[in-house]
Amino acid sequence: MSNSTRCAACRYLRRRCTEDCVLAPYFPSTHPDRFACVHRIFGASNVCRMLQLVPVEQRGQAADSIAYEAYWRMRDPVYGCVGIITRLQQEIQATQRELAETRALVAMNATEDARQREMPAAWDLVSFPADDFHQPPPSLT
Amino acid sequence: MGGNSPCASCKLLRRRCAKDCIFSPFFPSDEPHKFAIVHKVFGASNVSKMLQELPFQQRADAVSSLVYEANARMRDPVYGCVGAISYLQNQVTQLQMQLAVAQAEILCIQMQQEAAGLTSHAMEADEKSFLFNGGLAGVPQFMSFGSSSNVAQDPPKKESLWT
Repeated sequence: MSNSTRCAACRYLRRRCTEDCVLAPYFPSTHPDRFACVHRIFGASNVCRMLQLVPVEQRGQAADSIAYEAYWRMRDPVYGCVGIITRLQQEIQATQRELAETRALVAMNATEDARQREMPAAWDLVSFPADDFHQPPPSLT
Repeated sequence: MGGNSPCASCKLLRRRCAKDCIFSPFFPSDEPHKFAIVHKVFGASNVSKMLQELPFQQRADAVSSLVYEANARMRDPVYGCVGAISYLQNQVTQLQMQLAVAQAEILCIQMQQEAAGLTSHAMEADEKSFLFNGGLAGVPQFMSFGSSSNVAQDPPKKESLWT
């Protein structure tokens, strides 16, 4: 394979890119930074080995996830993409708390609403039993 | 490390563990699997470079996250940690949807309560008007206080009213 058609990995490693290069399908020459990042974090031989461990049809996804992890490790050298996992777990806990509080409020409101519906209507309480007509009203003097 | 046993990394790499070995604080000899997995995924030299670029107080956290990532990659060679991120992002989305539904329910209930409150206020006003405007059918005339009789008239005798 000529120099002009070397993959990003072989160009970075300054080697001849063979036809059966394991890395060529996933690290095209159009994206040199992608391989540079992956090489810095994992190393070319480790990436080759990891890709060879998975079936060919899944190597594209494996290469993408390796590139993603390498990218995040470069951005956050201490936590890498584990920092994203931690933040997502915290967000899940906070949302679960808020959901539980909101549902409790719904249940409370529904109970109060049902209670108010069961109370007799105001006009039902305005009734004068017949005996009351025989009692003088207090203001009649 | 002198006479002490070499750290897990130097033991695996079969080299002398120096006093200033960058790995020894974080890869003790009683946890060999920790370095083994990190070495398998990242490589010892890459880990060494990454640790050297960090202040000492951040290296322990960095090692923990590297071990976590390496374990995830060994468990799932295709997606590694990214699989966990996808799963958690889906969970967040589902929870946010459930929260939106619950908040919409609250709004509905509040709107119903406000509507019921307005209706009951209107009905109370109607009741009062009903009571004070002679709406009590069947009440004898002598109990109606709205009569136009002159106050100079003699009041009705009590016994004739109440017997």
